[in-house]
Amino acid sequence: MRSLDVDVVVIGGGSTGVGVVRDVAMRGYKAVLVDRVDLAQGTSGRFHGLLHSGGRYVVSDPNSARECAEENVIITRIQAGAVETTGGLFVTGPDDDPEFGDKFLAGAAANGVAATEISIAEALAREPRLNPRIKRAVAVQDGSVDGWQLVWTAAQSAKEYGAEILTYHKVTSIERDGDTVSAVMCHDAKTGEDVRIGCHFVLNCAGAWAGEIAAMAGCHDVQVVPGRGIMVAMNHRLVNSVVNRMIYPSDGDIIVPVHTVCIIGTTDVKVPDPDHLPIPHDEVQQMFDAGEVLVPGFRNARALHVWAGARPLVKDSRVGAGDTRHMSRGMSVMDHTERDGLKGLLTISGGKLTTYRLMAEHIVNAMEEQLGTPHPCRTADEVCPSGTTKDATYVPENYHVTHRLHDREHDRMQDPILCECELLSRRMFTDKLAELPNASLDDLRRQLRLGMGPCQGGFCTVRATGVAHEGGTVDTERATGLLRLFLKHRWLGLWPILYGDQVRQTALDNWIFSGTLDVEHLPEGAEVV
Amino acid sequence: MTNTVVIGAGLSGLVAAIRLARGGRTVTLLTKGLGGLQLSQGTIDVLGYAPERVDAPIDAIASLPATHPYRVLAPAAIAAGIAYAQELLGDRLVGNADRNVLLPTAVGALRPTCLVPPSMTAGVVTGGIRYVLVGFRQLKDFYPKLCAGNLERQTTPAGDPITARGIILDLPAIEDMADSSALAYARALDDPSYRAKLAAALKPLLQDGEVVGLPAILGHRDAGAHRHLEELLEHAVFEVPLPPPGVPGIRLNEALTALAKQAGVRIVAGAKVVGFESAGGKVISVGQATAGRIRQYAADAFVYAPGGFESGALTMDSYGTVTETIFGLPLHGLGPDLVTAGDPSDQALFRVGVGVDASMRVVDPAGHIPYSNLYAAGGILAGATRWTEKSGEGIALASAVAAADSILKGA
Repeated sequence: MRSLDVDVVVIGGGSTGVGVVRDVAMRGYKAVLVDRVDLAQGTSGRFHGLLHSGGRYVVSDPNSARECAEENVIITRIQAGAVETTGGLFVTGPDDDPEFGDKFLAGAAANGVAATEISIAEALAREPRLNPRIKRAVAVQDGSVDGWQLVWTAAQSAKEYGAEILTYHKVTSIERDGDTVSAVMCHDAKTGEDVRIGCHFVLNCAGAWAGEIAAMAGCHDVQVVPGRGIMVAMNHRLVNSVVNRMIYPSDGDIIVPVHTVCIIGTTDVKVPDPDHLPIPHDEVQQMFDAGEVLVPGFRNARALHVWAGARPLVKDSRVGAGDTRHMSRGMSVMDHTERDGLKGLLTISGGKLTTYRLMAEHIVNAMEEQLGTPHPCRTADEVCPSGTTKDATYVPENYHVTHRLHDREHDRMQDPILCECELLSRRMFTDKLAELPNASLDDLRRQLRLGMGPCQGGFCTVRATGVAHEGGTVDTERATGLLRLFLKHRWLGLWPILYGDQVRQTALDNWIFSGTLDVEHLPEGAEVV
Repeated sequence: MTNTVVIGAGLSGLVAAIRLARGGRTVTLLTKGLGGLQLSQGTIDVLGYAPERVDAPIDAIASLPATHPYRVLAPAAIAAGIAYAQELLGDRLVGNADRNVLLPTAVGALRPTCLVPPSMTAGVVTGGIRYVLVGFRQLKDFYPKLCAGNLERQTTPAGDPITARGIILDLPAIEDMADSSALAYARALDDPSYRAKLAAALKPLLQDGEVVGLPAILGHRDAGAHRHLEELLEHAVFEVPLPPPGVPGIRLNEALTALAKQAGVRIVAGAKVVGFESAGGKVISVGQATAGRIRQYAADAFVYAPGGFESGALTMDSYGTVTETIFGLPLHGLGPDLVTAGDPSDQALFRVGVGVDASMRVVDPAGHIPYSNLYAAGGILAGATRWTEKSGEGIALASAVAAADSILKGA
């Protein structure tokens, strides 16, 4: 058994957890973050990619709107590479109430959300595929954000401040010394090793899984109800800016351009288990119907992939009134001292990705209040990773969809392209694999977008497997296991939305993997985590 | 004056067109693309799995479900299809319809197939074989060490161990290019001086008795490239098929296209057939969307060989409705749960297709014949999962020959 000692253990590697570990580390604590799988493999990687301008909440939740507007500016600056400043539109659909637009504009003005009504002609000039029958259009500063890039760059920043990030470390128990938390026990799924992390404080940022974690510390009935939402990625950027329905927030009312695709979302259905998120046929149809309202012909476009995420919704009657003082909107911090008689544990639930940094600030403030050692929060002041600020002339550059094309124009004669859909070079792949030698192809996909384009891994999967195997760190059994697992996982997000040209693609992929390569008759691969 | 129209330029379309033209018909072949053969591995698969590995493909056909195209065809038609491929392609194919052979795939699986190009025969797995797989740093679709590693984890069917190792050469197809396709390598290897360069780099690395497996790039147009390389290396050499575009498939396609032209087939390529006219229970003409207008091609018999879902001839829309896109033919194999979370290569959807009788005339699921002069062949036929069975070429050949013969007999 491995053991280490730190001040603070952060449980959960979603946006909240990495935001918290970065803040804790920047305030001078020795910190470690553990997640049972990869960073942002849960809810933070399973959303539509919207960096809110605040527009969505100007009527339903004005405080959230204000926070989003402020945080949007901060995240766009400190995590520039993860954000594309697409801008956004709120549009009144043909059957929507145009008077909602007045409430919208008033709410935006009152809460510092930049919003300008534009003519229908101007909206159609900006977004030619938009439904010409829309009745009103308001321009806002929505952006698009890559959740994995956001989380990994924040984690990188935390590491620069001495934090350790332990992915694939599943918490098995939480130890207490009298009435205080004393250690977190983990199992390293990649190496099979058990790890004991001695600590003074635990911040439970496990999102939809926070109830399970709290129960390990003996704090029962922390009810987090997962709210399942599905998202569908379409093959093209049907829109180049975020397009929202100007209605009270509802299902399927946002299309977000993300990298080379666009994503429509989402639904909201309470489910019992965040590890089992079905993708019902009727919800998929609902997304396509909603897409038709915003972009006529949406159903004739090619759907690439579908996934579901679990929002962590808190439902706990035992939260005392005193606990709400640290609340960011939609978020709650639960202090287990009063509730369960356990010191050194805070459970955080709710919240949204756009305001993750602000939530982290509130949580760490709450921890420091208990510890009696206040420090200022500096997470809004430094870019991630912080090393990039050392050069005084550095200007953060936001993501642009043609970045990779630009890079490949320069290196294509020297460096083969492994994944044509996502313009991923061999060097990008081998560099990341060297950094993460135990990575599965899905781990690498989340950081590199391997296999996320139209062919859904048809051509790049064998290349990635072969290159990893040639590098020497992956033996043949493991390589075969990596190949099979990746294909299996790609299919999970394909079959519920399989129609049109993606059927054709799937047939071609079957000809490749089954017809030509006979992958199904390879000898067994190693079990891959 | 055309009296027969063939739609589709894959294996079944080309073979049907050649047989019809040689049988005295005047044939026009209409095709949108270049045909699916170019995406194939270039072997003639008859039946490799049913679902266990098959040694004698013709014998195993009796075990297939009654809805399988091989069961719909007369047993003699399957042998006739294979024999016709041998007749047309002569020394481009080696093997025998009674027996499958096992060949290494690019990832090192042992894949059953029936007839193979001579450039692949040295790779057939046999007791005591010692493979050396050779890849190129600049060719990203073949990883010789992965292939060798998986081969070594298996035995021959008789249980003998397999020895294999991998070598990676740093030898670009085109100078200073880090990324070349298999076709670029094949074109480079049409040049004897490039073959000499390859042999000079490779020969010192070979050990006595090793059989050399190279990716399937040994010449695009020069059929002697493989033999020449064997002479230079003084080793037996075989080709390993790669994902598309597949050079061995391209070679077969070009050979068959040339034969079709020699036989007088008129090929009109690059435009999709988009509609048809019918009267009196017969197809009168089909319309091809050529530049500026739809041009009608009238004929007294039509062979419909457009491929299946992979070509777009069969589609499923976002509501889950499956359609045959030109004639709107009634489909066989429809039902609930066409697509499930199970193995992507084994989905009921991909067994949906057009039904035929033993003469390859299109029939609806109730057994009625919608158009008495419409015949179907190849990938559009319902009832088979060709990629898992390794049966695509066998079905294409047998159905193409059967369709052509029905038309010739009728005439």
